[in-house]
Amino acid sequence: MNQTTTLERPRTGATASLEVTHALTQTLYREARCLDDEDYAGWVAMLADDLHYHMPGIETRYRRDKTDQVTDLTRMAYYNDSLDEIKKRLLRLETGTAWSEDPATRYTHIITNVEVEHTDKADEFRVFSNFYAYRNRNERDEDSLIGSRIDIWRETGGAYQLVRRRIILKHNVMLSKNLNIYL
Amino acid sequence: MRLERIGREPEFSRYMDLKEGWLDRRIFSDAEIYEEELYRIFARSWLFVAHESQLPKAGDFLTTHMGEDAVIVTRQPDGSIKVYLNSCPHRGNKVCFADAGNTRRFVCNYHGWAFNTAGELQGMHEEYCYDEGDIDRKKNGLRQVARVGSYKGLVFATFAQDGPSLDAWLGDFRWYLDMLLDNEEGGTELVGGCIKSVISANWKFGVENFIGDAYHAGWTHDSGCRSMNDGQPFPPIDMENSYHASVNGHGWEFGTEGVGDLFLLGRPKVMEYYEKIRPKMADRLGTMRSQIFGSVASASIFPNVSFLPGISTFRQWQPKGPMQFELKTWVIVNKAMPDDIKDEVTKGVMQTFGPGGTFEMDDGENWENCTTVNRGVVTRHERLHYRCGIGRQIDHDTLPGIVYRGQYNDANQRGFYQRWLDMMEATDLGAMPPRPEPRLTGVAETRDLPGLFAL
Repeated sequence: MNQTTTLERPRTGATASLEVTHALTQTLYREARCLDDEDYAGWVAMLADDLHYHMPGIETRYRRDKTDQVTDLTRMAYYNDSLDEIKKRLLRLETGTAWSEDPATRYTHIITNVEVEHTDKADEFRVFSNFYAYRNRNERDEDSLIGSRIDIWRETGGAYQLVRRRIILKHNVMLSKNLNIYL
Repeated sequence: MRLERIGREPEFSRYMDLKEGWLDRRIFSDAEIYEEELYRIFARSWLFVAHESQLPKAGDFLTTHMGEDAVIVTRQPDGSIKVYLNSCPHRGNKVCFADAGNTRRFVCNYHGWAFNTAGELQGMHEEYCYDEGDIDRKKNGLRQVARVGSYKGLVFATFAQDGPSLDAWLGDFRWYLDMLLDNEEGGTELVGGCIKSVISANWKFGVENFIGDAYHAGWTHDSGCRSMNDGQPFPPIDMENSYHASVNGHGWEFGTEGVGDLFLLGRPKVMEYYEKIRPKMADRLGTMRSQIFGSVASASIFPNVSFLPGISTFRQWQPKGPMQFELKTWVIVNKAMPDDIKDEVTKGVMQTFGPGGTFEMDDGENWENCTTVNRGVVTRHERLHYRCGIGRQIDHDTLPGIVYRGQYNDANQRGFYQRWLDMMEATDLGAMPPRPEPRLTGVAETRDLPGLFAL
């Protein structure tokens, strides 16, 4: 599993070609559209078998505090999932008894600030992006989740699959009642 | 500490009749009642402020709230723990802005007033501006809470100088708490980090859900259960061999089948682990408690802490106005667990009861709508039904507390609101009746973990 490029190294990679950058940007947009449309089968098809999908819980600490709150996987996290674990979560929506998902939430993912870099492996690319995920449901429930992501995407057979994602939400207290959303 | 508001003619009994089994909805939305709760309950209760494992070294600190009062909790060089207001006595500014860390002092950003970790004023910026007699440093430290105590790793603090000791406050509930805190040698610890979210609901809805509401689980959480367990439905409830137990407003509802909550966690390795240690648990806690642990169960400590023994989410409902609370969640594990089991528990908790958890997502939605619908003036005067199982109280040879048969019951909820009423009306906390009379004597029936500091 650790054959795959890590999110940290190499620290900076050469910028990918316009063509690859365009293809991966379009891939991020397509992924966002799957999530907005609740097309989870379409989303899962974009995820690699060895996926690690991670959104750490980050406390507010002083600058001098060197506690590793991001890469230490033993700490609490909103998501710290393999592909199988993501699929388990998604099963909830197929039961027909996920009461709070009916009526459906209205989602919009806005993906920006896309940068694509080469890694040490020819078929894997590091992709930085920012997100603004807006949710609105029932009469006037609404909230906004804003943050940044670092991904590794792997080219397989002309398409790209998500292998690693780290999501950094820019909240301390998550200003929302739940996370019925993938970012 | 005297709070002027206490002593006003209380009239809270008109908001409920627990013998009949109803509550007035206004206790879930009314701003004046909420203000009274801050004075009468949160400023006088023993409140959970930390787990000792969060503060292993001298200088370790965390910030939290007691009611809506911001406090700092710190480990002292002598091993004791101090709790004081996170507010400078000069102009009131916060002196600590971090959730947690380690420090030698807290310095106010406004005028540089500096306090050691005991909360004592050490000095300030441009100290010469104060003439002799202007300031008594000893009287201008950070305001300490009245009392701090701990029970098997859980640290509690209270602003009330008088009133019950922590032992009396917890009373026979310690018999139940030991199933969470002392089911294995070494006791418990919290996994690193704390995840906080905001729910636009009254704080009591979270507490009462965990204190006794097994009833909602099979319906609200059908989707969560099936997603975690390959489509299997909720484990069946045995109404003959499951119970509600209420002590001084705390409550634990539970089966005796031993595996239900472990099943819901959806982590077979964790289930195997507990099966392996269950014989030792029986030596430690007796057969009855070793059969209760791991069953479909949930519990709350009055007024605002809840947990699921077996699923291992540990949480606090922090009030933020009548129609909002902040939910702080942790994962509680046994210290003796191997690292891979701790990781399994942590992942399992976050997949079920984290903000993105398959169970959690359906709860907040319910509580918000239970609360916000009371904006309607007609709606808010309607009563709510709390009579389930009202005739099923029993005496049980082994189980302490006010015990009801049948896990589907409102008994612990009624016990919680009885204590709420006791505190809302009490002028003298010492005069509050124990509910029920304690059965256990002293701490003989519980165990003391080695190596804990007296606070």
